[in-house]
Amino acid sequence: MNIRIIFCAGVMALTLGASSQALAQPKLRIVTSTTDLDNIAQAVGGDRVSAIHISEGYQDPHFVEAKPSFILKLRNADVFAFVGLDLEIGWMSLLIDGARNPKIRQGGSGYLDVSRVVRVIDVARGNVDRSQGDVHPQGNPHYWLDPENGRRIARLFRDKFSELDPAGASTYAANARAFEARLNAAENQWKPQLAKLKGKPVVAWHTSWRYLAQYTGINIVGFMEPKPGVPPSPSHLAGLIQTMRRTGVKVIVMEPFYDRKTADFVAARTSAKVLILPPSVGAIKGVTDYISLMQYDIRQLADAL
Amino acid sequence: MRTIAVLWASITMASALHAQVPTTPSDSAARAKAKADSIAADSIALIRELEQMQRGNAADTTRGTQVAGPSNPRLIPDISAIGDLVADLSPDGSTQESGNRFDIREVEVAIGAAVDPYFRADFILGLSDLEGIAIEEAYLTALSLPAALQARIGRFHMPFGKQNTTHRAELQTVEYPHVIQRFFSPEGLKGSGFWVSKIFAPFGFYQELQATAVNRLGDAPDDSVTLAEPLNKRLSGLGYSARLRNYWDLSEAANLELSFSAMTGKVEQPLGIELSFGSVTANAVPARQSDLGIDFTYRWKPLERALYKSFILQGEVIHQLNADAVAPLAPLICAPAPTCPLPDFGRSLTGGYVFARYQLTRRSFFGTRFDFVQNPAASEGSTKAGSTYLQFFPSEFSKFVVSYELLKPGTGLKSVNRILLQTTFAVGPHRPHPF
Repeated sequence: MNIRIIFCAGVMALTLGASSQALAQPKLRIVTSTTDLDNIAQAVGGDRVSAIHISEGYQDPHFVEAKPSFILKLRNADVFAFVGLDLEIGWMSLLIDGARNPKIRQGGSGYLDVSRVVRVIDVARGNVDRSQGDVHPQGNPHYWLDPENGRRIARLFRDKFSELDPAGASTYAANARAFEARLNAAENQWKPQLAKLKGKPVVAWHTSWRYLAQYTGINIVGFMEPKPGVPPSPSHLAGLIQTMRRTGVKVIVMEPFYDRKTADFVAARTSAKVLILPPSVGAIKGVTDYISLMQYDIRQLADAL
Repeated sequence: MRTIAVLWASITMASALHAQVPTTPSDSAARAKAKADSIAADSIALIRELEQMQRGNAADTTRGTQVAGPSNPRLIPDISAIGDLVADLSPDGSTQESGNRFDIREVEVAIGAAVDPYFRADFILGLSDLEGIAIEEAYLTALSLPAALQARIGRFHMPFGKQNTTHRAELQTVEYPHVIQRFFSPEGLKGSGFWVSKIFAPFGFYQELQATAVNRLGDAPDDSVTLAEPLNKRLSGLGYSARLRNYWDLSEAANLELSFSAMTGKVEQPLGIELSFGSVTANAVPARQSDLGIDFTYRWKPLERALYKSFILQGEVIHQLNADAVAPLAPLICAPAPTCPLPDFGRSLTGGYVFARYQLTRRSFFGTRFDFVQNPAASEGSTKAGSTYLQFFPSEFSKFVVSYELLKPGTGLKSVNRILLQTTFAVGPHRPHPF
């Protein structure tokens, strides 16, 4: 008797378990190259997606190690969304080849080059070679630091997720609208700070701040790097110090993953301040989503200038 | 041989078929409708705006805002070249294979592209004064296989051990470890044949099994070596290898790879004289050679300081088992004497290395390596070497290395001081950073 009861209970438990699994909505598995794309994907996908990222906000996204553990993340992904414009060129192909997942290979339904829908600046014209440094011939890849591109990324995710999960199309559309509404509201709040920043001269470490400069109106009068990706040389710094004195630069903007000793050296000779700004979500504590990232950077700049 | 051909044909067909798995008509219709529905008015507006922007840019170059176009509209394969220059300033003369003090050791030209939706092709040619033009690697990779499989056919670096899978110009040292040079070749071990790999994670960490079947084990000897029948006449004469990779993330900054390799095949053992085997004569006999290897790599790279700080500790031990196919023929070789002194071909040999590299600054690294490998004759003991390296990378595309090595070849032989300078430089598309 007891055995029968246990057997029946076991069968019922298995049946219930199986049916609840069948009823549960399988989530779209999204892998993104950066935390910024991850955050926007989560905002648009909501509960219908599970999103994870490869590079952390506090590391240089170009110099990510192609760890085999990332291959495991990618092998079952439905979508791999990446910044493109050669930002991930040092590691992405190794991971995609290693993952053996046709969905995320070029031409697959989940291969999502986000750069194809955004406004790109610094697209190379004429001849390009490596004497110009670590150039990105297709354009500057740090485009997420312009909120307009944030909106475009959200719309791209909405369309891609809807294509792969038609039943969730209305949810994705609503989430994307909500994301844009939050961003619009935040932008309205930033207006006084943006007005204050317009035309203010700054120096940036790398060309990654070009989009933020375009959005905020700040004027980047020089870069710590003599050419993209090339560490500063003494002669370049000497010239830069002259430029900073001449133009009255008060701030040197840089990412947390560069060595600030050189920037401190220049700042000490120009009475400027070194401002470490997060370039991505998660780069510093408190910057937990895309809107707070933009807000933090704008506020820090406004306070410093 | 037929078995391998059938296996390859099955996998390549599976690759193509897997990539073409059709969706059901109802799925397709639902998806198409949903896709159409999902492109709301603002999305269409976005596309129009982008198109307008592109048109506008043709006239307004000051605006500087564009939409990215295709990076390779003419579908030209990726073509790159690496120059590998070595200067040998050793006090007792050059220790290079060529005997030169200043040597263009090799120029490597790589061409690669997707062939079609199912395959990718890679060609790597090595150009050197010693070898002329050599096919270093040339393989077709099936990228769309089911069950997390990947397969290659062609010539490739044998997946045995850690460093053998890396091209010499991309090594973190000037030369391969002595055990690889001694057991395989100064340029590592390659094979022509079939390669298959599967990834899995039943225990929650990354594992990969790689297996190969190749035409033969190691490089073929010159034409003066003759066998009664080709090594590869029977399947047992081909080369076979297997490698199991295990990888763990120890923390965000540290990880460990521990792998096991095994390889077997037949090689020629010289008889010293020419013997008749039926209607044919030969001056060598086939003998089985097997290698067992274990390697580990510990990496540390704190993400926030990844541009400036990193550390690698790597080690590898290889044990080579050699069958003696000459000894049983001693009566024939030594006739009329019943026995005669013959080399001990059946000696099993062991070798290995430990290598460490620490990043000093953004562009400079310091490395050191200790090598040991048993010499073929028991009386000669082991070769031991200690070396240090100072590397400077002006950019990701060029490297300068200064190396000092103290080499102790074995009993009775004088130690050698080696001072090597190396420069490598690459042109062409950005290649992935080696891991």
